[in-house]
Amino acid sequence: MTSLALKSLWARKVRALTTTFAVVLGIAFVAGTYVLTDTILAAFDEIFAESLKGTSVVVTAKNPVEQENSEVPTISAGLLPRIQRTPGVELAAGAIFTPGAFFDSEGDKIGSKFSPKFISSTLPGKLESLTYVDGHRPRGPTEASIDKGAAESSGLQLGEKIGLVSAGRLRQFELVGFTRLGGASFGGASIAQVTLPTAQALTHKRGRFDQISVAAEPGVSPAALKRRIAAQMPASVRVETAGENASRQSEKIDESLGFFQTFLLVFGFIAVFVGSFLIFNTFSITVAQRISEFGMLRTLGASRRQILTSVMVEAVAIGLIGALLGIAGGFVVALGLNALFEALGIDLPTTSLVLEARTVIVALLVGVLVTVVAAFMPALRSTRVPPIAALHAFSPPPSRRRRRVAVVISILLAALGLFLLVSGLTKGGGAGSRAALVGGGALLIVIGGSFYTPKLVPPISNLAGWPLQRLRGLTGRLARENAQRNTSRTAITAAALMIGVALVAFVTVFAAGLKSTVAQVVDENFAGGGLVIQNTDGFSPIPAGVAGAAEQVPGVESVQSIRSSKAKLVGGEDVQVAAPTPEIEMAVSLTWKAGGPTALRNLGDGEAIVSDSFASANGLAVGDSFRLLTARDARPQFKVAGEFESKLGVLGDVLVTQPVMARAFGQRQDTSAFVLVEPGADAATVQAILSKGIEIAFPIAEVLNQGELKEDRETQIGQLVNLFYGLLALAVLISLFGIANTLALSIHERTRELGMLRAIGMSRRQVRTMIRYESVITALIGAVLGLVLGVIFATLIAQPLKGEGFTLSYPVGSLIGLLLLAAIFGVLAAVLPARRAARLDVLESLQYE
Amino acid sequence: MAGANGQVVVADQLSRRYGTGAAAVDALVDVSTGFDRDRFTAIMGPSGSGKSTLMHILAGLDRPTTGTVELDGVEITALDDGELTQLRRDKLGFVFQFFNLLPVLTAEENLVLPLSIAGRKPDREWVEQLIRTVGLEERRSHRPAELSGGQQQRVAVARALVSKPAVVFADEPTGNLDSKASEDVLQLLRRAVDEFGQTVVMVTHDPAAAAHADRLITLRDGRIVHDAAPGSADDVIELMKQLD
Ligand SMILES: Nc1ncnc2c1ncn2[C@@H]1O[C@H](COP(=O)(O)OP(=O)(O)O)[C@@H](O)[C@H]1O
Ligand SMILES: [Mg+2]
Repeated sequence: MTSLALKSLWARKVRALTTTFAVVLGIAFVAGTYVLTDTILAAFDEIFAESLKGTSVVVTAKNPVEQENSEVPTISAGLLPRIQRTPGVELAAGAIFTPGAFFDSEGDKIGSKFSPKFISSTLPGKLESLTYVDGHRPRGPTEASIDKGAAESSGLQLGEKIGLVSAGRLRQFELVGFTRLGGASFGGASIAQVTLPTAQALTHKRGRFDQISVAAEPGVSPAALKRRIAAQMPASVRVETAGENASRQSEKIDESLGFFQTFLLVFGFIAVFVGSFLIFNTFSITVAQRISEFGMLRTLGASRRQILTSVMVEAVAIGLIGALLGIAGGFVVALGLNALFEALGIDLPTTSLVLEARTVIVALLVGVLVTVVAAFMPALRSTRVPPIAALHAFSPPPSRRRRRVAVVISILLAALGLFLLVSGLTKGGGAGSRAALVGGGALLIVIGGSFYTPKLVPPISNLAGWPLQRLRGLTGRLARENAQRNTSRTAITAAALMIGVALVAFVTVFAAGLKSTVAQVVDENFAGGGLVIQNTDGFSPIPAGVAGAAEQVPGVESVQSIRSSKAKLVGGEDVQVAAPTPEIEMAVSLTWKAGGPTALRNLGDGEAIVSDSFASANGLAVGDSFRLLTARDARPQFKVAGEFESKLGVLGDVLVTQPVMARAFGQRQDTSAFVLVEPGADAATVQAILSKGIEIAFPIAEVLNQGELKEDRETQIGQLVNLFYGLLALAVLISLFGIANTLALSIHERTRELGMLRAIGMSRRQVRTMIRYESVITALIGAVLGLVLGVIFATLIAQPLKGEGFTLSYPVGSLIGLLLLAAIFGVLAAVLPARRAARLDVLESLQYE
Repeated sequence: MAGANGQVVVADQLSRRYGTGAAAVDALVDVSTGFDRDRFTAIMGPSGSGKSTLMHILAGLDRPTTGTVELDGVEITALDDGELTQLRRDKLGFVFQFFNLLPVLTAEENLVLPLSIAGRKPDREWVEQLIRTVGLEERRSHRPAELSGGQQQRVAVARALVSKPAVVFADEPTGNLDSKASEDVLQLLRRAVDEFGQTVVMVTHDPAAAAHADRLITLRDGRIVHDAAPGSADDVIELMKQLD
């Protein structure tokens, strides 16, 4: 029976191939995600191992709170002599490795926008990890080297001038060397190297190091040396062997890649899910078309079980083939994803592609499981074919009991989904688990709902078909009727598209909400109506001298600024801490719940002002005290001096003074600065002068007015949304494929009918039009359902965010555009089936059984 | 108009060969005949004698290997698909063995389907007359699944007549019906000829069906072996025996 099943599959290999394709795309995306992230991780491992090649022990600051956009704590240069004197140390040196930016002699930025760039210091002897492929190491305060990759992409020559900037002013250097680090590509990341004092000056780390690298004398083990050094170091310092340091860094990368991986996998599994609809449909249709074949097998004595087995063997075979092709496709997807991110300005470091056993296992499991599960119901149906079906055209009717069971399952699934969704929205807990609850809930609702979609097919196709019928008369009418002929088939086909459209609609609505929220935040926060100075990347700190320089510009009344850092409540969660200048309210509006402007103006070093949500979450009131764990491993205590209304703003949850921010949190640079223009002065002129000056001295900063700031934020959101659209396109593509597949199978069934229509005068063109409209109607059913679901989900999920100032807005134009796009997709999906239907030979079709 | 002799369809030296070499089958061999206007012609012959092949070629659904067909003054064997489509709309009506109604349309919609496809306005009076003639006034808005086989085939006959074609071709129209329903359908075709002045060409196996025709052509091995008025059903049975 198994070999019969495989032979029969082989006989229908073209059909089988299209079914396989549904699995291949999704699996390829899942496998591609693994391949890409594994490759990136391998590249980082290589980079870390390479950069610690001559190093035995690494000394760094403890940094108990992981910083995202703020300065990372440093260690005192005074620790170095103590380490150098430690027995067993052959060589020890301080090093700087700090984010910065590089500019060519024309003032153009070197490297792509989002990729990290570092300013590093030269290290003596074997501690140096960079290899010079051309030129020499920088020797004085005016010399610098840069990695070969960046040099090549920007066409830099030795002897040319390059500008480097980090925490201070831009400084010009002569390019004296090109470097390389091992064999791995950094992706877009690049490194400029200068001498240690120069690096300290550029990064405002005089008397401090990012790290001390230590080489052991021959015969001294790194672990032993580590113990000896650690014994002499203060508690805020971390001492590791090179191996420990590399694996800690790898773990950190793994963690942040984990998010990236999950993010991509979600889209892969959505594609697999959508593909499963296609598989379900194809199996349902082919089982229906092979009823007389099954009947014949039953007359020959095949048992129900054997029929079931033969269909399931087919499913397993399709799943396996699909998974294997998917793994192969995964390599292509990995390269494609890399190209997609590169196009967005995010260059990821890569080495040769990595295929882990885990990738193969997951792909095979997912491929086979999804196919088997999707094919199971149709296969069960095939077992209900009685032997008599061999003689008649017979279709096993769904029993009443079965239908009732389906309704019950549908309601149960939807109810469970709703419960998960609501609990995800209302309960506390980590964002990840809440998102999982919401996502899982939404998924269950979609599955439960898709049991019900057959009922929605007639009304929606009537609605969508009505204008077609008005426009095109008979062909429109027939298209509509044909779409309704097998409601569950149309429903499943449409449901596949529904999922993609729902997600696109969700993203569209949510992004529109974000954009209007951002616009509102800008309007509400920046009451002063002045100019904003920020890092050109939109989130990193700006150089320390910017605010002071801006104050000197004629027409500027005052410059206010905010510095921020992440801290932890001792034994608790992360807290965003901000240090504004005392007069910040001139620029940023605050709504006071307790205390007031004077509390902020007279804020003492032991005091803090907290947001109302922070206060209520931690049971704090004015006069109470709390303790924070800072990036510098300090545990300062603060007394609450006031309370402001929290909103999606720039201020975070806890406000402290700027001196405390520098001392206890290690944050010396402004996150953003606000420039208030004198009443008489022309803001545009002031902005022009400021921009000019900043461009020359601090090119990693930029001056924006409120309109530009909104635009800047909206562009960032837009880029993110485009990324989502790009990733969701896969699911939509698969569902279009499903429409084409279902159409092709339906046309196959209706061959004789098409022959008759042609015989009584229907032209090829009319046949094509009719099929095309059927496809458009199916696509529109999916789009309408998806749109409704997407908008509902977006509305639901926005509810808990409303408290934080999220405003929902419905982009009606975009949503209507989405419907039109779905209609166009319908036309595209119908191209091949319509052509085939129009080409049918009249006589052959009439004789077709 | 048709040829001077008043023939709507003229077949000249038609041959049709399927396949090549040793496996070649000559389904039609040098068949020449004409079909008079307003006449009801039956084509009979044993299975495989070439009846369907002849009818398909006459109707422009298949092309002869050699020979020509003139339909209402138009030489059709060389027409392209667009011209054939137009020909079907203007000059041809079909009745099939398996009714071939569209399941998604009502009886009346199926009836006027050729006009809808051609984008023509139905002549209400004519449509009403047809519905009365086929006796489906009560069932006009039923779908095919709610009609008996005989009723479906009557709708199919009316559908073939609705565009007042030059000729109606029927391939075994009673092949799937019981004798009562067959009789209704044959009466209907007879009336189409007598009352509406239609030209009908019908392929059949059934001597009783052939007896309704004005003329009976008998085929054997792809050739016309007999061509005369059919007489009664018993005469036809007798004739078939003789030809065997
Ligand atoms: N498409 C075809 N390919 C090959 N042979 C065919 C084809 N159609 C008909 N024939 C052969 O031509 C001969 C005449 O067939 P047909 O016209 O269908 O006969 P009838 O309708 O009288 O039964 C038969 O021998 C048949 O097998
Ligand atoms: Mg025949």
